[in-house]
Amino acid sequence: MSDTRPQGQPDEAMVDLLVKQVTEGLSPAEQRALDVMDSEIASAYLRDLERAAAAVTLAGSSGAEALPADLAGRVAQQAAEHFAAVSNVADLSEARTAATERARVQPSTAPGQSPEPFATRGRATRYGGYGWLAAAACLVLAIFGWERSPPPLPPVAVVEPAPVIVPPPAQPAPPTAAEERAALLAKTDSLKIPLGATKDPAAAGVTGDVVWDPVTQRGFLHFAGLAANDPATHQYQIWIFDAGRDKRYPVDGGVFDVPANAGEVIIPIRAALMVRKPAAFAVTLEKPGGVVVSGREHVIVLGATT
Amino acid sequence: MSTSVLQRIASGDSAAVRECIDQFGPLVWSIARRLSRTPADAEDATQEIFLDIWRSAGRFDAAQGSDKIFIAMIARRRLIDRLRKTSAEPPMDPVEVLETVAWADPGTACETALEAEQATRALAELRPEQRQVLELGLLHGLSQTEIAARLSMPLGTVKSFMRRGLIKVREFMNVDAERVSARI
Repeated sequence: MSDTRPQGQPDEAMVDLLVKQVTEGLSPAEQRALDVMDSEIASAYLRDLERAAAAVTLAGSSGAEALPADLAGRVAQQAAEHFAAVSNVADLSEARTAATERARVQPSTAPGQSPEPFATRGRATRYGGYGWLAAAACLVLAIFGWERSPPPLPPVAVVEPAPVIVPPPAQPAPPTAAEERAALLAKTDSLKIPLGATKDPAAAGVTGDVVWDPVTQRGFLHFAGLAANDPATHQYQIWIFDAGRDKRYPVDGGVFDVPANAGEVIIPIRAALMVRKPAAFAVTLEKPGGVVVSGREHVIVLGATT
Repeated sequence: MSTSVLQRIASGDSAAVRECIDQFGPLVWSIARRLSRTPADAEDATQEIFLDIWRSAGRFDAAQGSDKIFIAMIARRRLIDRLRKTSAEPPMDPVEVLETVAWADPGTACETALEAEQATRALAELRPEQRQVLELGLLHGLSQTEIAARLSMPLGTVKSFMRRGLIKVREFMNVDAERVSARI
């Protein structure tokens, strides 16, 4: 597949990840996928998308309501503390620099003669602003406290009410993985694919299948006989081969563990990228946390759509 | 051109902190409320955002955009980071509040920001369902999966609408930036 996009432009997979980063943030798997892409292009495009998202946010935020007075007071107090801390750090840094420079200058200074003060004057001026800012922030705090504190409430008689225990509203239990898988299996447009064990020793006796919904991009693996893994040394990792992508780089579907004596297990698939034409699903055994590109030393199961 | 309040904070101007809280507090609070799960979360987020603003004021460059867009970017970054760290509950704004979103009118750049006007013009060129996807994602903090479920729309369509919408806004902003630089 030839790449016809202009030089310096992100490809579709990168744009998908950057849009998600800007709108809702990335999962660890998505972040891993982005980390292996061209960081220079990604950071430039990310900044553009962040500006665009912020512009839409501004466009939809006209007529914003005022900051609550007590919150404004806390923000001002925090500002005072922040600039005081910055000022202290600057002062400390200044003192250390001055001490160092005094130590350096003293051998050549005649007895009774003050060291040259001009060496540190520039920095003192630069950091001096923070001292003023800290003081000003304290003043802001005082003003906010003065102007924005609500008037004291008139004294009222305190009546202790009898405690009334209100039962929390019953929340419907979230569906289990087995229920969600059953729902996907019932959908007519979902893909149901048997998974075949490979000749890898870890695959002996494994049977399984995968169900995948191309509309919601959700799916589940279902296994019996998959050996327990030690998460400290290895984890299972899911891969989805997309017919629209380079088959050397399947989409990461997340990592999972199988506890001892698990019997049958159902694993949700968390695709790091949009899968347009799922062609095959595979599970490999990888180092803890998974890998960006699998060496495919231990392919455990494999299932193709055709 | 007058100096931005952020530049004044960075240079140690004593009155700028108060002005910054007064001037941008409503904007930060409005974004925080929409993209937080509870009112208490929104308050914590607002404090964190202002701390980020104090720390980042020195990096503000007026040539790159308005102070409002700089602050909105800082706010969004912090809020998305918080959303990812918390549970999978949706933000507190129910979708029924959608009608209350007040889009800036094109031509009111003095009251809002040039970038908001550019975004409004770009949004006007999108189909209503595309605009709705951007609104749910960017103003109400819904994930793409949540948007797909709420609008009964395939996830791929949601991703595509979000991508094209943001790219459209980006194009409007870049074209305007080129016009400005051509005039200079």
